[in-house]
Amino acid sequence: MKRLYLAHERAILGAGGVVLFLVLWEGFERGWWAELLQPLLGPEAARFQLKPIFISSPTRIARMAFDMFFVTGAIWKDLGWSNLEFALGVALAFAIGIPLGLAAGWYRRFNYAVEPFLAALNATPQVAFLPLLILWVGTGLASRVLIIVLLAVLPIAISALAAVRTVDARLVRVARSFSSGDALLFRSIILPSAVPFLLAGARLAVGRGMIGIVVGEIYGSSAGIGAMINQAGSRFETDKVFVGVLTIAAAGVALVELIRRIERRVDVWRSQVAA
Amino acid sequence: MNFERLLIGGGTLVVFLLIWELCADFGAINPLFISSSSRIAQAGAALVADPDFWNDVRVSAREFILGYVAAIVIGVPLGLLMGTSRRLSYIVAPFVDTLNAVPRVTLLPLLIIWFGIGIWSKVAVVFLGAVIPIVISALSGVKTNEARFLTMARSFSASRIKIFASIILPGMVPFIFTGLKYAAGRALLGVVVGELYASTAGLGHMIAEAGNMFQTDTLFFGVLIFTATGLVVVALLDQLERRFERWRPSVGAAT
Repeated sequence: MKRLYLAHERAILGAGGVVLFLVLWEGFERGWWAELLQPLLGPEAARFQLKPIFISSPTRIARMAFDMFFVTGAIWKDLGWSNLEFALGVALAFAIGIPLGLAAGWYRRFNYAVEPFLAALNATPQVAFLPLLILWVGTGLASRVLIIVLLAVLPIAISALAAVRTVDARLVRVARSFSSGDALLFRSIILPSAVPFLLAGARLAVGRGMIGIVVGEIYGSSAGIGAMINQAGSRFETDKVFVGVLTIAAAGVALVELIRRIERRVDVWRSQVAA
Repeated sequence: MNFERLLIGGGTLVVFLLIWELCADFGAINPLFISSSSRIAQAGAALVADPDFWNDVRVSAREFILGYVAAIVIGVPLGLLMGTSRRLSYIVAPFVDTLNAVPRVTLLPLLIIWFGIGIWSKVAVVFLGAVIPIVISALSGVKTNEARFLTMARSFSASRIKIFASIILPGMVPFIFTGLKYAAGRALLGVVVGELYASTAGLGHMIAEAGNMFQTDTLFFGVLIFTATGLVVVALLDQLERRFERWRPSVGAAT
């Protein structure tokens, strides 16, 4: 028995903590703790029952999630919109960030020129530009895509820059002495060695993009998961809010895990080359 | 070398501001949309004389400081405990990981149901944004301690307190500061989003109002204040880190 526990200590303790938390939560909503403490505290015990609109409960959330995904299917439309925004925003961020970062890493003077702008944008919470974006392009899809671009482009550009900077100088010299042109050098040395950096940047960009989805939609939009959360919140439909939050969390975890997998693949290739 | 950097960087910035100014002045683009450097400066001068503006600054500063300090006070010890006690980390890790996966601003509607639209919902979102990176960095600071140092200290039978004070804590410092810098960005983001979303005062509120009323210059000035705050906080943390790191012998090329 003890051996079994020790072998799976991590899983047991982790799951135990989560289950305990869920039971506590459920109990607050259903009034289990109020009943339990009734003999001890008397009428004071009623305090330990909280209103469902305040905290919802795991079972309520599960039921609502089931409804939204499989019965009414109401969430799919919002998910579709959010996916579209995210895909467009992150794709644009890559399309801008990679060439920008690579150029800044390769051409010293170009780096000097863009440095102040990148530093300023990096220090600013980019979401502060949202009212400006809305003023420019309205509250439609465009402003939501642009805020994602603004949030996600920096980690990509910075990782591309770092990638070029850390290319093994010996490799470049070898290529040069075999009179490789810039294009070949770029394709066969710079780009492959940039991949791990770009993936790390992508991982950060995904997180930023998630923030972008939520912020863009929460602030003046009528479609998407963020908007759904916002509307549910203003109607005190707490279970619905939690479903939205958990959906976004799940999507984030899945995406980051996907990138991790790709990163591991790339690493395998790398070690083979080294060996 | 460095002069060239300054020249090109500063030059591009000046040219950019000049083009921006000229575009607005000669009506190439309606200044209502893009404002211009001089208009922003004017709006800034007017705002600095306005007591309402200082009220906004106070509200935002209070939200930022309360949330950020609470995140440090809770995050650093929690990360430390998780790093020293394996069992505790097994229990807490699922919660930290889950929170880490959610953009914390998603929780704003909930936080507003719980704490109202006053400053406390913003303090909460700032706290949640900042605490996770701090916990994670403190945790990895403990985890990556030089095992050799620990072994040596143990073989000289150093007490737990001694080991903690002279090996673990100093080893954590760079990690904690990395976390603090990252967390500062997250905290500022929390202030902005919280105030954009629902608030009655604060700089984010000011930016949102300015956007609604097409006061682009005020809007830009507000954004600039956030930029400046971000730069100042990171510079302060760098300064502080250097003080803590003075004992460390420099490794590699001297800079």
